[in-house]
Amino acid sequence: MMARQRPSSPSTVTKARVPGLDQSGSLHNLAEIHPLLDHYPRKTDSEGTLKLDTDRLWAQEPPLDDMLKSQADDDVDEASLPHGLTKDDLKHFLKRALIVKRTSNMTTAGKVPSMYALVVVGNGDGIAGYGEGKDDEVARAVRKATNRAMRNLTAFDRYDDRTIFHDIDHKFHATKIQFRSRPPGFGNRCNHYIHEICSCIGILDISAKVWGSRNPMNVIKATFEALSSKQKLPEDIARGRGKRMVDVQHTYYGASE
Amino acid sequence: MPRHYDLCARVQNGFRARLRRIAVPDTKMNLAISNVLYKEGFISGVSRGDHVQPDVEYVPTTPDNIATRRLWLELKYNNDEPVLKSMSAVSKPSKKVVMKASELQNLAAGNRSQFIKGLQPGEIAILTTNYGVLELREALEKGAGGEILCRAI
Repeated sequence: MMARQRPSSPSTVTKARVPGLDQSGSLHNLAEIHPLLDHYPRKTDSEGTLKLDTDRLWAQEPPLDDMLKSQADDDVDEASLPHGLTKDDLKHFLKRALIVKRTSNMTTAGKVPSMYALVVVGNGDGIAGYGEGKDDEVARAVRKATNRAMRNLTAFDRYDDRTIFHDIDHKFHATKIQFRSRPPGFGNRCNHYIHEICSCIGILDISAKVWGSRNPMNVIKATFEALSSKQKLPEDIARGRGKRMVDVQHTYYGASE
Repeated sequence: MPRHYDLCARVQNGFRARLRRIAVPDTKMNLAISNVLYKEGFISGVSRGDHVQPDVEYVPTTPDNIATRRLWLELKYNNDEPVLKSMSAVSKPSKKVVMKASELQNLAAGNRSQFIKGLQPGEIAILTTNYGVLELREALEKGAGGEILCRAI
């Protein structure tokens, strides 16, 4: 290993270890784009000189607002998405901000307001989820909630890709909901929050009644709980009983595609 | 003389407690309903025994041992879930429910009939008819109506 010698005069300068980098007694020419030091997007123009790719550079520059939001809520890890979804698929998902409201936290300094958002995300074909977010600004709270919803996506079972398999009764806190399976063409005749969730999931025919508390947050959470956990598939029932199962609608009456 | 809702309670509680088998009073009605449950696949076996365990060999019922006679039902579980979720009485002494075959057809289709909810996918109804204790769809095949004892899902 060569000992480093301080260059005092041109005659005592040692041979540069990194070509182009060790320039005796002076910094390298900052006006030129350096392949190692400058990490901004570069392109070689027609004459062969290295130049900053200004189009890519200025397009990349994030707006000030984005730089202020927290890192953890920004990124949706593709590995955490279910069923082989990619970030491109998420762009085409339905996003519904169902609840946006102003909450306040009482502190010694007084009432500290904050915006709360509950967003339901779904692909309209069996995959949906909901997320809640809080921030000082509505837009940021909605964005946080949307990202959390993307992380909480689950698959929902549907009969014929249009309705639930059977009637469901579910209670969540003080909210009781009765879901009823309905024939094709019936529509989603239910509470407006349940209606939005059904359109995100892809349920086309359902009847539902909310008994007790109609608190929006609890209605939404109750719906997700009921539709994801309380459905019993006919195949599982048949397997448990040791019976052969036949879908009369499809086999004997030939349901239309 | 235990009524049919006694059996409903015992079966439902047995499944909720995740028991392997339960002992119910040995009566003709209990035996008939248990047979229907067995044919429908809710339980895996029906046998006679005493109050401690099912009989290994055949033991005839006599006035000496009648007090200890029980029916043992072997309960079924699949995928960490009980096969029978709930069994409830429909016809009660306070309000008897008797239906004709046409009304039973409504129930089988999933529609309400006589303030009784229709059958859900996988649900059965056990009724007593002139042809004996039958499941609802078996009764419809015979064109028979009767008193709906209980429903199980």
